[in-house]
This record gives sequence, structure tokens and C-alpha cells, in this order.
Amino acid sequence: MEISKPAHIWQLSFDGDWPTSVAFLGSSRKLAAGSRDGRIFVWDLPESPPESQEKDTPPDAAPVRQLVGHENGVTHLIATDDGKTLISSSLDRTIRIWDVNAEATGKGDVILDKPARERLSNRKSAAEKAAILEAPGATVETIGSQHTLEGHKDWIKALGISADGRRLISGDDTCLTIVWNLQTKKQIASWHGYQRVWVTSAALSPDGKTAFVGEFAGRRSSFDVPAAQARLWDAQKGQMTLDLLKVWTPTVKDEDRVDSYGYGQAWGKLLSRGLVCARFSPDGTLLAVGQGGETDKGQIHLVNVESGKIERTVSGHQSGACDVRFSADGRLVLSSGRDTVIRVCQVADGKEIATLGKARGGQFKDWFYGIAISPDEQFVAAADIAGLVHVWQLNS
Amino acid sequence: MNSNCPINEHLNRRSLLKSSLVTASGASLMNWGGLFSSDAHAAEAGKKNKHCILIWLNGGCSQFETFDMKIGRPTGGLFRDISTNTGESRVCELMPNIAQRMDKLAVIRSMKTSQIDHPGGIYLMHTGYQETAAVRFPEIGAIVAKYCGEKKSDLPNFVKISSNGNAGAGIIGPQYSPFSLDKDGRLPTFSESYLATPIETRRHGLRDFMEERYAKAHKAEPARMHRESYDRARRLQNVRQAFDVDSEWEKYRDRYGNSKLGRRLMTARCLVEAGVSFVEVGQSGYDTHADNFEGHKSLVPTMDIGWAALLDDLSERGLLQDTLVVWMGEIGRTPRINNRSGRDHYVRSWSTALAGAGVKGGIVYGESDKDGIDVKDKPVTEGDFFGTVYTALGINPLEENYAGVRPIPLAPFGHTVVKEILA
Repeated sequence: MEISKPAHIWQLSFDGDWPTSVAFLGSSRKLAAGSRDGRIFVWDLPESPPESQEKDTPPDAAPVRQLVGHENGVTHLIATDDGKTLISSSLDRTIRIWDVNAEATGKGDVILDKPARERLSNRKSAAEKAAILEAPGATVETIGSQHTLEGHKDWIKALGISADGRRLISGDDTCLTIVWNLQTKKQIASWHGYQRVWVTSAALSPDGKTAFVGEFAGRRSSFDVPAAQARLWDAQKGQMTLDLLKVWTPTVKDEDRVDSYGYGQAWGKLLSRGLVCARFSPDGTLLAVGQGGETDKGQIHLVNVESGKIERTVSGHQSGACDVRFSADGRLVLSSGRDTVIRVCQVADGKEIATLGKARGGQFKDWFYGIAISPDEQFVAAADIAGLVHVWQLNS
Repeated sequence: MNSNCPINEHLNRRSLLKSSLVTASGASLMNWGGLFSSDAHAAEAGKKNKHCILIWLNGGCSQFETFDMKIGRPTGGLFRDISTNTGESRVCELMPNIAQRMDKLAVIRSMKTSQIDHPGGIYLMHTGYQETAAVRFPEIGAIVAKYCGEKKSDLPNFVKISSNGNAGAGIIGPQYSPFSLDKDGRLPTFSESYLATPIETRRHGLRDFMEERYAKAHKAEPARMHRESYDRARRLQNVRQAFDVDSEWEKYRDRYGNSKLGRRLMTARCLVEAGVSFVEVGQSGYDTHADNFEGHKSLVPTMDIGWAALLDDLSERGLLQDTLVVWMGEIGRTPRINNRSGRDHYVRSWSTALAGAGVKGGIVYGESDKDGIDVKDKPVTEGDFFGTVYTALGINPLEENYAGVRPIPLAPFGHTVVKEILA
């Protein structure tokens, strides 16, 4: 991945509840985004963006398809390399697998640009205002999901896929982690963590054999349960292989690893309000994990998968990180967070070489939730809680 | 002034004479207006042997994530509703246990109160009054201790477990001040004497002797308060075993949920069973300006299990009919979800709930509008709420205590008791 004079080329409206996730579908011009009200849309973008209707704002485009099925917020979107299959996880406790090119089953009209219409209609006559506000929305084809993976009993907030696209990992708020065979749609392994602790992040190594699972209890309300975990697992057998917190806090005795103030102080510095995003590097030697929840720094740790040691801590999103990705060559790590920016850092030395976006909001900024890198690595997209999906061209 | 609890229901002839004589003798000179008040009324209320457990949701629990969901509306949030055992009302999916006990609850969905921030809200929802410099209003716990408590009991009549009331006993006197346990419901370490019992007893005797001489010469209130405090501390030593609930916790741990809050709630049941008239149990963390949904998801299920277990446990022991369980915090939370995925403070429309002590179950009182922005029907102010709570406990909310010569009713002037939820 190379970055030189990145340009903000699309700002797609996705009004409603928060856009949470975004994925390129095998091409830099086709992308999907999901939101916290359970909707997923697909955009087919033209090769050259048209002129924007609003000054200093990149052009908008309407979606062409809506993927209908989720009944609560979409938490993650993952596309297979060929771009034909999209996988979504949701607060409705299901994982859905979509053939994004499947024959449409219906049509619908959607208005996703209400805030932009309101801005454009400012200072217009009543007639003009009405014409703008009441103009028809976009017509979208609708399709349903191809498969539904069921097995979770609570919100699914963690989803990851192996590099070969054959295995999927998911985790929910009952602290259940499931590794799936994507070809058979069957479970390969599953395991439970502690009661009242949530799986907040999960990732599979490129070969699908090793799993990382981050766990966090929103409230330390139990007597004997440590409120946070960061562990590596054998994804085939469902057996823990390395407790990263033990590596990171070597002076803490095992018997003290409960809900004690002292241990809370120790893991709090490393995990903050829980690790909410995780991704293995393309060669599988490093793991990037991000501190989430509302926290001061929202740092990204780069962890040596073999030793479990933190090799480097890079970047930092004021008020918390949301998502993390490696470039295909493993040289760069991209992260998004609650500061309305994507930070691009060099893995080798941790130096931040670029930021996409700029802070927006008052004391607390809007979030860039999920991020995606196009297959050709020329574009990066972000889901923005302000009801937008942004696309940057990395070399303009 | 409006109440469904006329004074003649709470004052018999003997009490009237007793009160009159005390006043006539000048024993309560500054309390000259208390002809119908204080001890005589307290004795009457006390005979009813009512208790109260307050489950205090510190920080302000969201009505949208508990009893007043707005599914499908922009203000609705991420949770879904579930059916209840009354077949009519629906509650948040985070409360499956309480959903099956809605027949015991009266939920008020139309709270409309006047203090939007925490200190003011905590004061307001513990006293019924806004804080002023002129009057030290007593907390509900102190009032219940005075009017329902057993005066001769060695147990404190007002116990707090990890909770946040900030008003104390105020004008009704230090003998009704709260006794606070630690966050796990255990006696605080300072409550135990470091001296052997015979030595401690001798010290008490000596102190009594000295203080009695002093008190004869000085009629000052601080002297009385000092003696009262020592006396209470000494008497507490007689009943320490009432606070030792370790073995009980082993039996009931699963039922109440293996959590700190569960243990506090079980301790509250034990104390009520032992005779304590008011126990306040706190659960903190509801001030979810950020990550409201995760925040409530981490708090409400623990509370749901513990609260449901408490209701069952009280019911099975025959205590629920005389024990009012109050569920509330100081404020509600905003309909609007902010850019921290949080909800801020809100008092234009929020929810509380009552159970036991003659409160009708299976009732949802009042209604908010479609987005939960305002009360649509039957608003309940803090005064109305306290008037209703006191009435359920057999305490006349019009009963007055005195700040100097100024009469202060238990519930503010102008309140309306919500009769519809009282049996």
C-alpha cells in the first residue's frame, strides 16, 4: 500500500441509525455498508465521481441494492476476496451470508440523504423546499440472505475470517466463541468464557488455525471473575494456547487474577475498556488489537503471536479505537476510532504517516466505526456515525 | 394539599391526648405546632410493622432500556422488548426475570421531576424536596425509621448498603441517621471494638457517668446526639450476628445471582426479616453518557436477577405484604442518543416501580409520548411519588415535622397520592 496525497472522493449518505461497518465487494467501486438499525446497502459507484452538489463536500451517490434480513444492528461486514459473498454479523444474534449478485426479490424506495436535503433546502422558497425535501428517494433492489448461521444467543459483536475464506470466527455477549466452516456452514469448535463477560473482538490467523479472542465485562459485578481477557486459542480444538494478559502482566500471581482492584489497575492500562478490534497481519506473525470503549488513548497494540509480547504500541484514537486493518504487505496498520479519523502507521517503527478525515464534533467527536481497504489497495472506506460512508483515494 | 390518607385514620384519641400533654408540658417547646405530629403518629405507623427496601439505581437508569421502550422509534435504542406475565405490558429483554414478576409490580411510566443533575436529583428523590439552605429535609429512610421503626431495637432502623443518599435524617434528628454497611453488605470494620468486652463495658459505664453529669447541666442537642451515637454503637454489638449473612449467602448465592448487588439485596432481605425498617441498596454506574447500551447491558441483568429473587424471597417468607420495594434512581435518561452512543440526563418523562406493602401488582401507571419525550398521561411529580410511597407504608404524607417553627410535611404540599396503584 502506498499513500500520496489522499483525496476524499465520495461521501455517501446513509441516514438513519449509525453506519457501523463497510466492505468493498471485490472492486474499488462496489461497496456495502451496514448500520445499527439492521439495514445493509450496496453501492455501485461510477469510475469517476460526478461534481458535488455541495461546496467542499465530496459527491454523494445512491445505493442500488438493499440486503434485507437483519432485525437489529449490523456489527460487522466481511466480503470474500472475489467480492461475491458478503458476511454480516448482527445484534439480532445471527450471522447472515449474502450472495450480493443474486437475483433481486423485490424493489423499494429509500431516502438516505435527508440531512443533505435539509441543508440544500435552506433559504429556498417554500415550493423549492418542498420539491427538495419531497423528491423521490433512490430505488433499490432488495435481496434476502443465502444462509443464516445460528448458534449465538446474544449480541454478536465480534467477527473475523481466515485469509483463505474457509473459516469464520464469531463471538457474542454470552462469552461464546464459535469457529465456523464456511463451506459446510457448520461449527468447527466453540467455547465459553466467563458468565457476564462479553466477547468484544475475535480474529483468525491467515491459515485459520489460531484464534484471538478479546473479552470484557462492562461492569465488574461478580466476585471471582476477571473482568477482561486477551487469549490465543487453537481454533480447531477450542483450546487456549496462550493467555496474553499473563504475558503482559508477569508479576501478577495467578490467584490474584480475579476482580481485584490491583489486577484491574494492571489490565486497565493494557486493555482499557476492552479490546474491541483485532486483526492478524497477512503473514500471521503479528496481531493488532485496539483499545475500545470510551477511553483516553484508544491505542493499538502490535503483538508478537508466538511470544505474546507487545512489540509496539502505535497510534491512538482519543476516546477509543473502533477498527483495525493491516495493509496486504503487512507494512502498514490502519485504525479508526472515536476521533473521526483513520490513522495509518508504519508497523516497523510505529510512525504515523497519514490520517484520513478530521475531527468533528464538540468535546466528544463523531466516530469512524468500521473501515475497509479496497482489493487494489487504492481506496479506503469508513463508516461514519454521522450517517455517512466515506471513500478516500489514497493516491490522487 | 391533597391526599387519600385523612389524618383521622392515623391518630386515635390516646395518641392525640399523649401528643397534647407533651406539648402542654412544654417538653417540646420549639415543636409547639406538632400537636398532631411526631412520636404519636410514629407510634401509630410503627404498629403497622411496615418495612421498605429501596433499590437505588445511582446515576439514573434509562427508562428506554427497562420499562418504557420505544421500539422502532429513533429514540428506541438497540434492545428489544419481551412479553411479561401480565400479558399486557412489555419490558426490555434485559429483564426476563422481572418480566415474569410484573404481576407484583406497579410501574410508573410518567415520572416528571424537577432536578436534572445528580446531587440535586439524589437529594430530591431521597427527600421529595429540592435542597434549600433553610431546611434540612430528612431522607425517606430516616422517615421510615422514625414512623415505622422499632425504637427499642438494638438494630439500626435505617441501613444503607453501597448507596448514595445525601440528606441524612435532617430535621427529624440524628437518631434516624443511616447506618452504612460496606459495598458487600458487611459491617464496616470500624463497627467492631478493638477492646475486650469487659473493658469496653467498663468504658461505656464511665462514659455514661460522665455524660449524665454533663447532660444534667447542659440541655444542648449536641450532648444528646453524642450520647445517642455511642449508645447506638454499643447496642449494635448485641446484634452483630444479624449482619453475618455468609452462610445465608452460600444458600442463596445462585438465586440472587452471584454478584455484589445480589449479595446486597439478600442482605437487605435478612435485615428486614430481623426487623430493620428501611434498607437502601445501591447499584452504581447508570450515568451512561457514553456507551449507554453496553452500560445498561452490564448493569440491568444483574439487577434483574437480584430484584426478582428479592421479590420471591420476601413473598415466600410472608414479608412482601408488609415490605414496600421501591425501584428508582435520581433521574431518567434522554430520548436522544448522543454521539458517544450515550443518553444524557432527563426528567421530563421517566420510570420508577413499586412492589409489596399493598401496592397493586400488574399495573403500568401513566404513559409517555411515542418517542418518550414528554409525559402523555398522568404525570407523577416527586411529591406525588413520595406521597404515594408514604401512604403505602401506612405513614400519613401530610404528617409534619418542624424546622424551628416551620411545619414541613413528609411529602410536599400539593402532592397527589397515586391511589390507582394502592390496594
